[in-house]
Amino acid sequence: MKAVIEMTVGELAAFIASQLDKHGIEVVLTGGSCVTLYSRQQYVSADLDFVERRSTRRKDLRKALAGIGFQEENRYFKHPETKIIVEFPPGPLAAGEEPLKDIIVMEFATGSLKLISPTDCIKDRLAAFFHWHDRQSLAQAVLVAQSEEIDLNEIERWSRGEGKLQEFRKIRKQLVGEKAGKK
Amino acid sequence: MLEPLLGSLNCERVLMFIYGREEGYPREIARFYDTELYPVRKQLDKLEAGGILASRLAGRTRIYTFNPRYPFLKELKGLLKKALSFYPPEEQEQLLMVRRRPRRRGKPL
Repeated sequence: MKAVIEMTVGELAAFIASQLDKHGIEVVLTGGSCVTLYSRQQYVSADLDFVERRSTRRKDLRKALAGIGFQEENRYFKHPETKIIVEFPPGPLAAGEEPLKDIIVMEFATGSLKLISPTDCIKDRLAAFFHWHDRQSLAQAVLVAQSEEIDLNEIERWSRGEGKLQEFRKIRKQLVGEKAGKK
Repeated sequence: MLEPLLGSLNCERVLMFIYGREEGYPREIARFYDTELYPVRKQLDKLEAGGILASRLAGRTRIYTFNPRYPFLKELKGLLKKALSFYPPEEQEQLLMVRRRPRRRGKPL
């Protein structure tokens, strides 16, 4: 097994998720680190956001992560060999008002990692763009659209449900355009 | 009114204030309810950690709003709206009727 200092973001995420799984804690990776994985590291996130599938007592989380050298500081978990911090944002796994159910499993030498699908990753980023006008989140959504097969019709349907159809139409070309450029 | 459900009177107060005014900062909320600052701050922290509220800095003041990405926001606001309708009319008015239009600096009253 590699040392934590030598692990890629994906390997580290899988290492943590597998450790938690051994303790009966099922987690799904969400947030910016999914963009890192789907964009082949064109964007690098400094944290790993895991959402628990079922509520876990904090002390159980603390105990499981202590087993691989992570210690809690405020609301985050840190390891002396990496600058990447681990966070457990409150559930449920959702983009705006909808639950995210399309879970992908990636295999690494360090273990298995469950993460939200590329299409859901774009919804997650667009939620931040739509509600907070965060252009960095839009740029991340475009990176994922460039790199992965995504379901634009599904993203459009979700945007309508969020009351953001007009906003989606304004940025649709960026998602489609980049993809068409790639082909 | 929602205290048995929310587990704390201050939690109800904070949520109701943000619902009525759309945003608020700790000292403003504590002053409105004539209560201590610390328990208000504690509730704001808890609600932010739970993803229900979001905050931003304006100068040195941290301003809290509902987190638009909270998946149960519509339902929560529905509950708060109903609870507010049971409040005494003067308290409803105090929460909802607040000057929102700009006021030029130095303008005499």
